[in-house]
Amino acid sequence: MESQAPRVTVEGFDGPLDLLLELVEEKKLDILTVRLGDLADAYLARVRAMDTLPADEVSAFLALASRLVLLKARSLLPSLEPLPDEEGESEEELRLRLVEYALVRERAGQLGARLRAGERAFHREGGTVELPPRGGEVDALASAWSRVLALASRQREEELVAPGERYSVEQRTAEIEALVAAQERVSFATLLGDAPTIGFAVVTFIALLDLYRRGVIDLAQDELFADIVITRREATSAQI
Amino acid sequence: MTRNELGRIAGGTPRAVENALAELAAGYEGTGLRLQRSDDEWQIVTAPEHAPQVAAYLGADRLRLSPASLETLSVVAYRQPVTRAEVEAIRGVNCDQTFYTLASRRLIEERGRKEAPGRPILYGTTWEFLECFGLQSLDDLPRALSPEGALVLEGAQTAPSEPG
Repeated sequence: MESQAPRVTVEGFDGPLDLLLELVEEKKLDILTVRLGDLADAYLARVRAMDTLPADEVSAFLALASRLVLLKARSLLPSLEPLPDEEGESEEELRLRLVEYALVRERAGQLGARLRAGERAFHREGGTVELPPRGGEVDALASAWSRVLALASRQREEELVAPGERYSVEQRTAEIEALVAAQERVSFATLLGDAPTIGFAVVTFIALLDLYRRGVIDLAQDELFADIVITRREATSAQI
Repeated sequence: MTRNELGRIAGGTPRAVENALAELAAGYEGTGLRLQRSDDEWQIVTAPEHAPQVAAYLGADRLRLSPASLETLSVVAYRQPVTRAEVEAIRGVNCDQTFYTLASRRLIEERGRKEAPGRPILYGTTWEFLECFGLQSLDDLPRALSPEGALVLEGAQTAPSEPG
């Protein structure tokens, strides 16, 4: 892109007022009393020396240049009739702008110094802290663990008794889909039955995840470790 | 968090909240935390003097701004709310690019529109601005002149206006 290269330059230099202010400072002149017209030659010399002046900035530099030249002409020929005020800003207005700009540059310098000092603050990231749902008491955790233990011990016995049992996710998915289609809501505990094997529980759970992914069902769990309620999703939203 | 929110939650009058906040701020003196205020909102931040350690922990890069961006930012900071045209009038150059840079770094943000022809957008500084410059509020913006600045601006203090 064409505009990319000059952009970098624009960031680097700071416009006509900056240049004028630089001249005032270089020559150690008093910003409040210097005759700005006297700076016209030096200003023009500097503008001429800029080899890569971006096109869209040229006009701003030239506008100020012409203003300075006019001020200079006035001071050389004091007898010139003061032009009617259609002629843009007077020396005092320009001076006021320059002083205002000098203050801005001063503030910018101070802010830049703060930035370089690197003494910044940090706030806590991430917004609100998500608290776990209520009901997560130690007792609930303990009873959940004992259920797991009971399940696991029963499991081992069953597997010794009936090792050949096999379930397929497809089959289980179809079963649950049919069940939900018939009665709209069913609990996870019901689906597992009284004494599920680990294999059966896993297949049932994967089947539920698959149905949820397909948008057939919704899942809800009111409390930590509570039973999961499976509900049929409305036909319209299931189309998605 | 606003003062009213705090009052509602803690069940205190705005005045009581104000006192409590002042107490809290005083309590943070000499610790790793500071209370930061933007308008009527408050938040707790890390102390600027510990920035190197916190930045190292967070893996945060130091913010770098060009002189042009800093100039634009300082006009917005000291004159807010301000329109882009007003900033351009003061700096004497087009500020499209610097406004874009500052907004994309979330140092400035829109503050509604000015009731003037064309209803131009007004801009102000953000929380991030206060944080990046380690300011507890806009009241902390530097007001005194640096030695170099004093050389140029001595005696000119009455001319430009810096509200606030």
